[in-house]
Amino acid sequence: MTITAGIDVGSGAVKAVVVDGSAEPRVLAHAAARIRRRDVATVVDEVMGIVLAESGVDRLDYIASTGEGEEIPFATGHFYGMTTHARGALMLDPRARIVLDIGALHTRAVAMDGHGKVLDYKMTSQCASGSGQFLENIARYLGVSLAEVGPLSLTAPKPEGVSSICAVLAETDVINMVSRGIATNDILRGIHDSMAGRFARLLKSLKAEGVVFLSGGLANDIGLQASLADALAAERRNGAEIILSTDPLAIHAGALGAAIWGAFRFHRLGTTGAAWTSTEPLPTHESAR
Amino acid sequence: MRDDRVKKDRSMLLQKEMIAEHFQRLEDAPRSGEKVVYTFVPGNLTELIRSFGALPLLPEINALQSGMRGKSKAYIAEAEKAGHSADVCTYVKADIGMMMSGNIGPTGTRLPPPDLLLLSYTGCYTFMKWFELLREQYKCPTVFLQIPYQGDGTLLPEHREYVVKQLREDVIPALEAVTGRAYDEGRLRELLALSARAEDDLVAVLHSAKQKPSPIDSYFGGVYYIGPIFSAFRGTPEGVAYYEALREEVEERQALGIGPETPSGRLDDQRFRIVVEGPPNWTSFNEFWQMFSDEGAVVVASTYTKVGGTYDFGFRHDPGDPLGTMADYCGGCYTNHNLPGRIDMLVDYVKQYAADGFLINSVKSCNSFSAGQLLILREVEKRTGIPGGFIESDLVDPRYFSAANIKNRLESYFQMLRERRRGQVAPGSDATAEVTP
Repeated sequence: MTITAGIDVGSGAVKAVVVDGSAEPRVLAHAAARIRRRDVATVVDEVMGIVLAESGVDRLDYIASTGEGEEIPFATGHFYGMTTHARGALMLDPRARIVLDIGALHTRAVAMDGHGKVLDYKMTSQCASGSGQFLENIARYLGVSLAEVGPLSLTAPKPEGVSSICAVLAETDVINMVSRGIATNDILRGIHDSMAGRFARLLKSLKAEGVVFLSGGLANDIGLQASLADALAAERRNGAEIILSTDPLAIHAGALGAAIWGAFRFHRLGTTGAAWTSTEPLPTHESAR
Repeated sequence: MRDDRVKKDRSMLLQKEMIAEHFQRLEDAPRSGEKVVYTFVPGNLTELIRSFGALPLLPEINALQSGMRGKSKAYIAEAEKAGHSADVCTYVKADIGMMMSGNIGPTGTRLPPPDLLLLSYTGCYTFMKWFELLREQYKCPTVFLQIPYQGDGTLLPEHREYVVKQLREDVIPALEAVTGRAYDEGRLRELLALSARAEDDLVAVLHSAKQKPSPIDSYFGGVYYIGPIFSAFRGTPEGVAYYEALREEVEERQALGIGPETPSGRLDDQRFRIVVEGPPNWTSFNEFWQMFSDEGAVVVASTYTKVGGTYDFGFRHDPGDPLGTMADYCGGCYTNHNLPGRIDMLVDYVKQYAADGFLINSVKSCNSFSAGQLLILREVEKRTGIPGGFIESDLVDPRYFSAANIKNRLESYFQMLRERRRGQVAPGSDATAEVTP
């Protein structure tokens, strides 16, 4: 049995998994923690501590980082984000040939083959209006928690359109809507529709078809999923058939992919000896110094 | 430069001395009696200015230097407080803000007021408005040289004639009036001959990037290489000496088969050869460069290093036809090229320099560069078959440099190039794009 860990350092959260990286990878533990202005190293150590405790493993053969985790001192190797999201998505839904990674900073559509090899990609522009952080800011302004955003959006009878170009203008729109007495659910659905429109264009530019797997922090926002399905239905009239898919572990896709590629690498290099064993201190920034 | 992350080449130190000396002369000009002519990089008439014994001063060089030295943010804030919009070119605001803050230049010396504003218009509309603002401030004479835009992709004989006529009837009389000296064509020919020598050496340096590994970085290093020739030193013995030294230094690296110094150290292991379109970001210059060098990416050709002249396509200043050659020079600046011309140049660079990819750095406040860049991207992709990358930043406004965003995009882009290179690898084999083992 090959036991590996994957750590995905994102702009908004750190995700970690421990995986049995055998032929059919199996998730032994997973954890995610928001960074919220904390020192990233502290958050990394925190989630690693959780997944090691929960998995109960006594060794890690390989510790793989991805995302912005290049500097993690106890990682055995670092993998590019697109590669890890592709591989993680493939594990969670083997039919997927596109992964739409909706993160705090940006959204990225990645095309892959049946082995998780990246073939092409497209990203939203640098404007924040397509990002998870933007949605979080709006939610905070509206006084709702992120967990409430999706269900509330689904109840909107009359979505109110917002600027899809610029996050600053969109925020101004929202302030104006609140002062006009527009209901919170209609505002949220308007924002979801605006974001979904951008994502649909992204998928169209990648000539996406078949199963598109949603990963990243917003993958399980059911309001956004509904808006995206609507936007894609409009596109479908133009020929492209897209099936949306996701998984409760979708936020961990990057960490999962890192752990799986870590196991692959471990075998390919014929490595002997573990990256960490339970006789050593927990792998943290402090212990690695 | 603001920090010392990049080991300095000998030529960089030499350039630093030249610039310091030039700015000292500028500070002393009100006392020494030397006349000062403000002008812009694209289409600059340095030899003509110097043939009258005057000193050129280039506001956009000052602005970018302010950006590199961490001063532009405060200058831009000053300009915005005075009513200049957030969307105005940030070079303009950095310059206006610097002026409002006491006009202390990049080397710490005071900049003199202009005796003449010489606007050579080569495709950037903002330059006109910029000098209108400066004219309002300084109440000094202004002369406007209008260079016909290469809308049809070429400078016609009548365009050339029109420029020469303006030089004779407007620009030279204005310089005569300001300096009190008569036009000396013999002197101008001497200076143009010096320019041609320096230009030969610069082109040899730029062409060296065709070698693998490239001994230079044609964008991040390139902006240093073009410094003297794009600013005050064309047609000067110091300029000639600088380019001789630079060429010698680069030829040494060529002979040894080694790469340029970068923020990640000497870049011998060059994994990606890139062509870049658009100006660099100056406020986070080294951080931006390091995002390339950490990935083993070297820039082998760039269009920004042609804004002050497209010498690598064969142009040299010709002492045999002093005014005609200046017309040709101005017409050929990159900013004066139409979109098809810019596409041709990028395609040519990708092929000539055996590039793996090309990237556009789209600058928020420079419409002159940014308009049409997505069209350029698609067309270059189509004609070369290599993928283009697109990032966004700004010239000297640090608020528009989002390091995490740009790094993410560059990382994705370089990964794509790596995957393409491994395109022939059998499915399921190691296509993991691992950064470190």
